Amino acid sequence: MNLKDMIHHYGRQFGTLIGLLILCTVLWILSPFFLTVSNVLNIAQQTSINAIIAVGMTFVIITAGIDLSVGSILAFSGVVLASVAKAGAPVPVAIAAGLAVGLLCGLVNGLLITYGKLPPFISTLGMMSVARGAALLYSDGRPISGFSASFRFLATGEILHIPMPVIIMILVYLIAHFVLTRTKLGRYTFAIGGNEEAALLSGVNVKFYKAAVYGISGMLSGLAAVILTARLSSAQPIAGIMYELDAIAATVIGGTSLMGGEGTIVGTLIGAFIMGVLRNGLNLLGVSSFIQQIVIGSVIIIAVLVDMALKKQSK
Amino acid sequence: MKSKLFKLLPMLMLLLLGLTISTCQRGKQKSKEGATIALVLKTLNHPFFIDMQRGAEEAADSLSVNLLIQAAEREVDVEKQMQIIENLIQRQVDAICVAPSGSRELVPVILKANEAGIPIITIDTRVDSAALVEIGAEVVTYVGSDNYEGGRIAGEFMVQELDGTGKVAILEGIPGHETGDARLRGFHKALEDAPGIEIVTSQTANWERDQGFNVFQNIMQSHPEVDAMFACNDLMALGAIEAIAAANKTGEIVVIGFDALNDAKIAIKEGKMRGSVAQHPYEMGKIAVESAYKVLQGKTVPEYIPVTIELITRKDLE
Repeated sequence: MNLKDMIHHYGRQFGTLIGLLILCTVLWILSPFFLTVSNVLNIAQQTSINAIIAVGMTFVIITAGIDLSVGSILAFSGVVLASVAKAGAPVPVAIAAGLAVGLLCGLVNGLLITYGKLPPFISTLGMMSVARGAALLYSDGRPISGFSASFRFLATGEILHIPMPVIIMILVYLIAHFVLTRTKLGRYTFAIGGNEEAALLSGVNVKFYKAAVYGISGMLSGLAAVILTARLSSAQPIAGIMYELDAIAATVIGGTSLMGGEGTIVGTLIGAFIMGVLRNGLNLLGVSSFIQQIVIGSVIIIAVLVDMALKKQSK
Repeated sequence: MKSKLFKLLPMLMLLLLGLTISTCQRGKQKSKEGATIALVLKTLNHPFFIDMQRGAEEAADSLSVNLLIQAAEREVDVEKQMQIIENLIQRQVDAICVAPSGSRELVPVILKANEAGIPIITIDTRVDSAALVEIGAEVVTYVGSDNYEGGRIAGEFMVQELDGTGKVAILEGIPGHETGDARLRGFHKALEDAPGIEIVTSQTANWERDQGFNVFQNIMQSHPEVDAMFACNDLMALGAIEAIAAANKTGEIVVIGFDALNDAKIAIKEGKMRGSVAQHPYEMGKIAVESAYKVLQGKTVPEYIPVTIELITRKDLE
């Protein structure tokens, strides 16, 4: 791949990347507190949860689907893994419990969509309510807290001064980028989103791969629950309300098309960071909370508008 | 053409930031030299917290300190509140006054503030002291109502209004919130001495008005004999009185709320509610900022600063 091809291939990411860089530059000029090592790590840590959920969302949206249940699955996984951790189980067991709950919920979504032939919007909307109810039922509506220091290390720990949530996020992105660009699962994800009929006719096991994609999305919500629970040293059954919207926003800002068949993991990372940087910057500047919402919403709209304009150009 | 479009995104982003900057400038005009105190509320779309904000602003004005006010979009979103506090630590504010969205979840970030040498003052909701001790975090003071006492006053009034016999339903807040739990404990305590009063059901309506309506409507279906209702906040009580009105039972069911919001006072005047326990959020905001100021001056403040709490009934409003 020569430079010209690369620019063509990653062109859309350059647009969002430039946006992110401009945003950072402006905040750097406006606030002396923005561009410090501790604040950059702070932003990365705050972005990690949304960024991880957004990876699953990217897979789902590339298949032309949507997952509205991620926030509720996060809450359900959270209370389950918290109860396991609180009971004194080793940390890996607690993590596995959280991932398993997420994976199961995601697979149920996948089965309803493939074998039940439900539109993703409906099946994940149902799961959004079911998982939330399950989280409330399981925890009796109360937050679960009180964990060992080794569990809390998942959020408060650092390796070479890099906070654990950031390390986990980086690993997730490396793996996801590899899976999406270099494996069968990745190629089929694009194929299904591009033209499901064609994928089916060319022998792709559409049902299997589609269900797998929703499973991944659920499992990553479970992973986000691990970080959130360790971070707050408490799992709340009401956690993660509207997180699906943040994840969808990060994905579409990152250039993934809601029509399916298009998207990159790198783009989603940039999208998640645009949202994280924006929230952090607006806090540093002391902007009113109401205006923050207007700004964040506007950025989502503008990013997608620009993205659409760019796409038209390249065609 | 393509390069022109590439320029479009940054330009639009700049435009947006322009809007942001202009707002900041407006904020800056008000600011004065001196310490910066941050006030982090649970939300800004609740009259209680808007009053608290006003009290804090008045104190900041008279003490000539800068006040930064932030809140999460949703009251229950304690993770966002945590992010706000982390960002304020980065911003190197001098003190943080916070009305915690959760009793334990903020403990890790309070520790971070401690490490950065920023004193934390809690308002309205107490942070679990055992959780603080466990990781060695510290809160300078708690400014708030004695919610237990408030619940107890409400319970005593309930016993009085029912002449010692009757069936009572309770609308709880979000489970696990120290504020609501203390009100419940106080209410239960007052009812202990009245064997004729039975609590038939106690359910959550998550502090919200619309849920108060729905939950109480369901309660009236399952317990048509219910004589009275205590709601842990007025929004839920206000929702419930609409459900009562829809069932043509206005005035028949004794309703007691908490917070004495303006709408609740009107409802009390109209006989739709019997009473509400008044808190003084304006005072809370004011005292919190004043305490933060004292701490920054090197003075000590007591670890608990109670704010007056009282029952408001029709008599008080006439």
